[in-house]
Amino acid sequence: MPDFKVEIRARLAEVGLSPVREAEIVEELSQHLEDEYERALSCGASEDEARQQVLEQLNTPDLLRRELKHVEPRGSEDPIALGTERKTNIFADLQQDLRYGLRTLAKNPAFTSIAIIALALAIGANSAIFSVVDAVLLRPLPFKNPNQLVMLWENAAHLGFPRDTPSPANFLDWQKQVTSFTGMAAMSERSFNLTGLGEPERLEGRRVSANLFELLGVTARLGRTFVPEDDKPGTHVVLLSHSLWQRRFGSDPGIIGRALTLNGESYTVIGVMPPFVQLPGFDNRNDQLWVPIAFPAEEAAEHGNHFLEVIARLKPGVTLKQARAEMDTIAARLEQEYPTYNTRRGAVVVPLHEQLVGEIRPALLILLGAVGFVLLIACANVANLLLARAAVRQKEIALRLALGASRSRLTRQFLTESVLLALFGAGLGLLLALAGIRVLRTFIPVTIAQVETITIDGTVLVFTLFVALVTGIAFGLVPAIQGSHFNLNNTLKGGGRDSGGGSKGNRIRSLLVIGEVAVSFVLLIGAGLLIKSFLHLRNLDPGFRSDHLLTMKVNLSEVKYPDRERRAAFFDEVMRHVHELPGVQSAAVAGNLPLTYNGDSMSISVEGVPDPPPGQQPDVIYRATGPGYFATMGIPIVRGRDFTDQDNGDSKDVVIISEKTARQFWPGQDPIGKRLKPGSSTSNSPWREVIGIVKDVRQNDFVASPKRQMYFTYRQLKNIAANALVVRTSIEPVSLAVPVRNAIWSVDKDQTVADIDTMDHIVAQAVARQRFSMLLLGLFAALALLLASIGIYGVMSYSVAQRTREIGIRIALGARRADVLQMTLKQALKLVGVGMILGLAAAFLLTRVLQTLLFGISATDPITFLGISLVLLAVAILASYIPALRATKVDPLVALRGQ
Amino acid sequence: MALQYMASPVPDRELKKGSAELMILSLLENRPRHGYEIAQLIELRSRGAIRFNVASLYPLLYRLEKRNWIRGRWVEKAGQRRRRYYRLTASGKNVLSKQRAGWREFVEAINLITGIQRA
Repeated sequence: MPDFKVEIRARLAEVGLSPVREAEIVEELSQHLEDEYERALSCGASEDEARQQVLEQLNTPDLLRRELKHVEPRGSEDPIALGTERKTNIFADLQQDLRYGLRTLAKNPAFTSIAIIALALAIGANSAIFSVVDAVLLRPLPFKNPNQLVMLWENAAHLGFPRDTPSPANFLDWQKQVTSFTGMAAMSERSFNLTGLGEPERLEGRRVSANLFELLGVTARLGRTFVPEDDKPGTHVVLLSHSLWQRRFGSDPGIIGRALTLNGESYTVIGVMPPFVQLPGFDNRNDQLWVPIAFPAEEAAEHGNHFLEVIARLKPGVTLKQARAEMDTIAARLEQEYPTYNTRRGAVVVPLHEQLVGEIRPALLILLGAVGFVLLIACANVANLLLARAAVRQKEIALRLALGASRSRLTRQFLTESVLLALFGAGLGLLLALAGIRVLRTFIPVTIAQVETITIDGTVLVFTLFVALVTGIAFGLVPAIQGSHFNLNNTLKGGGRDSGGGSKGNRIRSLLVIGEVAVSFVLLIGAGLLIKSFLHLRNLDPGFRSDHLLTMKVNLSEVKYPDRERRAAFFDEVMRHVHELPGVQSAAVAGNLPLTYNGDSMSISVEGVPDPPPGQQPDVIYRATGPGYFATMGIPIVRGRDFTDQDNGDSKDVVIISEKTARQFWPGQDPIGKRLKPGSSTSNSPWREVIGIVKDVRQNDFVASPKRQMYFTYRQLKNIAANALVVRTSIEPVSLAVPVRNAIWSVDKDQTVADIDTMDHIVAQAVARQRFSMLLLGLFAALALLLASIGIYGVMSYSVAQRTREIGIRIALGARRADVLQMTLKQALKLVGVGMILGLAAAFLLTRVLQTLLFGISATDPITFLGISLVLLAVAILASYIPALRATKVDPLVALRGQ
Repeated sequence: MALQYMASPVPDRELKKGSAELMILSLLENRPRHGYEIAQLIELRSRGAIRFNVASLYPLLYRLEKRNWIRGRWVEKAGQRRRRYYRLTASGKNVLSKQRAGWREFVEAINLITGIQRA
């Protein structure tokens, strides 16, 4: 029988049928031709004639092709063999991969949920921290061309102030002489007592140069900002913040032109600023109003009084370097002109962004690095899971390879699955990040950022998506390559056991666990160092007892209380009322409580000691206090006595100094009875007799060691007023807030009371930044430890499952259960040990970046290193103990029969 | 020599196509048949006047199948190789009765005009 199939196929070639359909047609037609052939033979034709006759049917030129073309669709569907090498478009493949991937993930809910949760934790942590980094470090400042903005400081590094606030006279000289800037503006803090409108209120605000808002590129929402004409003494105009306008004036659109009583004087409202306007600088986030700075003549001439913050805008084309060079030249000129004030004083130009975020940048970058590490660990974990699963899926893979799937196509399929996992993880992670940011906001120190600006926005979403894709590829790549490259023959022959994913897969899994242990070790060490450093900080002696202390600011109006007699009368009356309150142990008048204020220092001269040359007078922090202050604050008096009510304007002037001041000025002597005075010995301020020595107090900075201090009694001060009240209570201090405030109002109903707070909280705020870093790094390290222990557990479980037969044989041959336990634990500890050694080396190198965040311990603190090693070891043993225990329960009979 | 169907002197291509469809549907009216059987029956019943060529018969079958008038199915019978049998579908039955009526009218009209007496 001739083969007609070849003939038919030749004629079908051009029709372009799918292989399956073509085979069908060839079969049907050839049957027909064979029947015709048989018939021709039976009619007496020779084989050759019969063949000729039959083939004639096909020979009408083109007929079959033409006819079929009308009927049959080209390249119709053929059965889908996933991963077979077809030249189809990549999107169709992707769709197929996605569908298949989703099905595969859905079929293994346990695996899928563990992987997604691990990824969600890590990606969520990344998104949350990134949202903070984005809000604080990356987002441009809300000013016009913020890159041109700089802050200018005086450099008084020789006095311990590398960025000192400029004095008005120096600022005005800079402004006159400099050419690198398009403008320069000064700001100075000022509080205002708003009265005459219901409850009196103390408002934080700022005096600013008239050109400040124009310089920043901020315009008023209502009315106008300042014009140069406003910048004259005696002009009483005020700009309100948006929040003050809303809160206090009910968003009254007719506020412009209205008169307000501020510090007892009448000011006209000329404008309302848009929401969220924050002037760059210190502690200005709550500015509620602004007035022109309008230097009075005597202030404008002050070279020695440093209290301004100065901001400037670089001219287009002028570089930071050029501006610095010019400012150096000007500072040198001013040093020669005014040697008394400006000796060794330079000028510093700092880009605004660096000024605002410089301090927090290292901590944030370290946290970002830490969450990156957590993500790495999560990746390693999921990669491990995928590897174990790839071993299970070997048969499926082998089958697909045998059916003609290419390895690259399989790799793509695996990658699609891992990216899918990562995307699901990212989705859940974003939800976690949303919740996390809520918690973060309560820990973020106010000095870092406005919490409202920390959100999951487009940038964070793009970042998360990017992280998810990279993560998916990162943890999917090894298992994908590994999974699609194994010996097909062995797998099919061996029934898919113990091949492929075997030794090589185990090696990769072990390496991943070693990596996880190493990375979590580094994180744990970092966290351990920060925690220990924070404990050091909290254990620092602030110099006073912060518990049971209620504090509040009581800023007296200069108009109502212009002299010390009237101020003393007010405070005497208030003290009398406060002392009567139940729960009050003691109370005292204070000025600028510790850790709430960064200024107030002066140079002093000591009787009998020649004045040092200009620029080298030692600076001493001073505070105005009242009698009973030290007892109330719990500041021990080391020698001498406290102020009494008799130390007043009529008695001799006295001063109490700190131990450090005593050591500095009277080394080896008893300072009691000695005399000092502010400024040089020739100044006309009176000499003051030292009557007491108290312990050093951390006044301005909780972390740095205390500076030299001295205390005056406010009753003897003409120009410096006390401005705070401190109350030691026998009950919960906050419960006395309202009674104390009412006591003050019973003396003067218009007196403002602000910043009611406990001293404990003030101290906590002082270390908020450190607490923030410590808590987060601690949290991430804990997360890392958890993930790593899951990783160890997973690998050991898998290893035990794989070695069931071996363990069965060992037990059958007489191995004791204890031996098996030991053997399995040893295997785990080998991995953990290698990981810890690597981690130790990495930690020695990496924790150095933590140095700037550490206090009181070195970055290689041996106790921390040892402690963390033990913690990690204990967790590792625990994680591998459960699988090891399972190994000892292997029944040799079952294990052997199972094979 | 028997007339090759596609080379028959009947002029109208549509007419030919229509008549071929009618013949196939008629042959499948009572029971399923495979392609070779259909070709044989047409040749037999037309006493050799009409013969179908492989290259025209099968495309026609596929076309009818595609229109859902007939349905082909591979059938294996003991001791035989598998063959593809075609049977008439419900809609095929409908089409068949309509086409039959149409043809009857057509043939009668031709007869009336050409004066050929009915047998």
